[in-house]
Amino acid sequence: MPSALRIRGLTKRYDDGFLAVEDFDLEIEAGSFFGLLGPNGAGKTTIISAVCNLIRVTAGEIDIFGEPHDALAARRIVGLAEQDVNLDRFLDVEETLLYHGGYFGMTRAAARRRAAAMMDVFDLHAKAGVRAPKLSGGMRRRLLLARALMHEPRLVILDEPTAGVDFELRLELWRYIRRLHDAGTTILLTTHYLEEADELCQEIALIRGGRLLARDSVGGLLSAYGVHSLSDAYVQAMGEGVEG
Amino acid sequence: MIALLDRHRGLIALSARESERVLKLWSQTIVAPVLASFLFIVVFGLSLGGRIREIGGVQYEIFIVPGLIAMAMAQAAYSNNSSSVFQARADRYINDVLSAPMRPWEVNVGLAVGGVVRALAVGGSLLVLALVVTDVPVREPFVLALAVAILLVLFASLGVVVGVYAETWDQAGFVNNIVILPLSFLGGVFYSVELLPSPWEQASHVNPIFFLINAIRYGFLGTSDVPIGIALAVTAALALACAAWSAAMFRSGRRLKA
Repeated sequence: MPSALRIRGLTKRYDDGFLAVEDFDLEIEAGSFFGLLGPNGAGKTTIISAVCNLIRVTAGEIDIFGEPHDALAARRIVGLAEQDVNLDRFLDVEETLLYHGGYFGMTRAAARRRAAAMMDVFDLHAKAGVRAPKLSGGMRRRLLLARALMHEPRLVILDEPTAGVDFELRLELWRYIRRLHDAGTTILLTTHYLEEADELCQEIALIRGGRLLARDSVGGLLSAYGVHSLSDAYVQAMGEGVEG
Repeated sequence: MIALLDRHRGLIALSARESERVLKLWSQTIVAPVLASFLFIVVFGLSLGGRIREIGGVQYEIFIVPGLIAMAMAQAAYSNNSSSVFQARADRYINDVLSAPMRPWEVNVGLAVGGVVRALAVGGSLLVLALVVTDVPVREPFVLALAVAILLVLFASLGVVVGVYAETWDQAGFVNNIVILPLSFLGGVFYSVELLPSPWEQASHVNPIFFLINAIRYGFLGTSDVPIGIALAVTAALALACAAWSAAMFRSGRRLKA
């Protein structure tokens, strides 16, 4: 079975000359729960944007389940919940899900069924007719996740999915993301909450300045850095990253 | 047919979304421009029409209708797409479309459809209202349909291009306020350029909207300040240039993607 995500030699230099990622390699096995950790500006969002065709790649290759990332077949099986709440201000909750289903090739009937299921799962039914700008922060975050999962992607990319949500909702989202992973979905998660990565991820990559510093299971990282917590391993890795 | 629909579900969904936006904002997108143009027909046509009886053998209140419809449709197609695309970029919900399994031309066409729908709604409504207060004829329906199609391609594409390039709302509105509106007024909406003294008559011939207005006017009235072939050819060339610009932008991803 091909890897869920295979990145080879990814380089991204923005038009203003800023080099966000250089010659970056990463391979994520199908069915894994993978965490990408690093400080702001480490290149996490650039990598995710490159995978999802939201930026023009300067160099490198990206394959998703063996297909080039810009092929229609690859795009169809990736779901993205971005860090910023980027919901269509003219659409209500149900329309947001239905149109997303349409963009991703779902029939109207299939999209209706799936939208109803997603609104059940994320407790959005009562807000079905409410436009995105009128939703609370927590509801918007739920809708972002529901939209990312609407077309039943095999690779789900969650860019800081619990940023700014209260503790209860965070636990609820963790439960759902875990169930999703248990059902066989590959998950790529970026987060600033180290306890979130510790709790959820099978494997973690630490990156800084667009370079991969370390990659292992939580236990492996603790052994490699000779520490007792992920936050200590993170601090040590980032310190070495700066020195390097 | 079903296989064709299956292949282009993304395009259909995006077109529906853009059309729905127009219909949801109907008071702003349709009623306001129709009312503004209808007031021009009433004030200029019916009030001043008593003083300016005929232009080229056509009653004044009838003469101004085609130009007003053309101007309203051009502004509607342009404004809709420039604002819709700019908003989608500013709020970043365009990422939902850019990451979807859609071909670049499908995204381009889908984003342009809203302007087409809005322009047709505005133009159709204005024609109905004009027929209530004037006897404007449609003497060359085929030419009219062709000229309207060219207008839609030209201004819907231009709106998408500007929506992609604009960095602020001011920039998105600039082309409408500083280019389309003045050139429409100077392009003979309210007069025949044959009435202008030299060199203004000749100067009008470098105004591209002059050719568009005359193509639409020929469709309605069967008369034009320039041969209809030239009017259609000039506007079609501009429409092709704008459509090609827009297509190239979506194909390369430049400006749309960092």
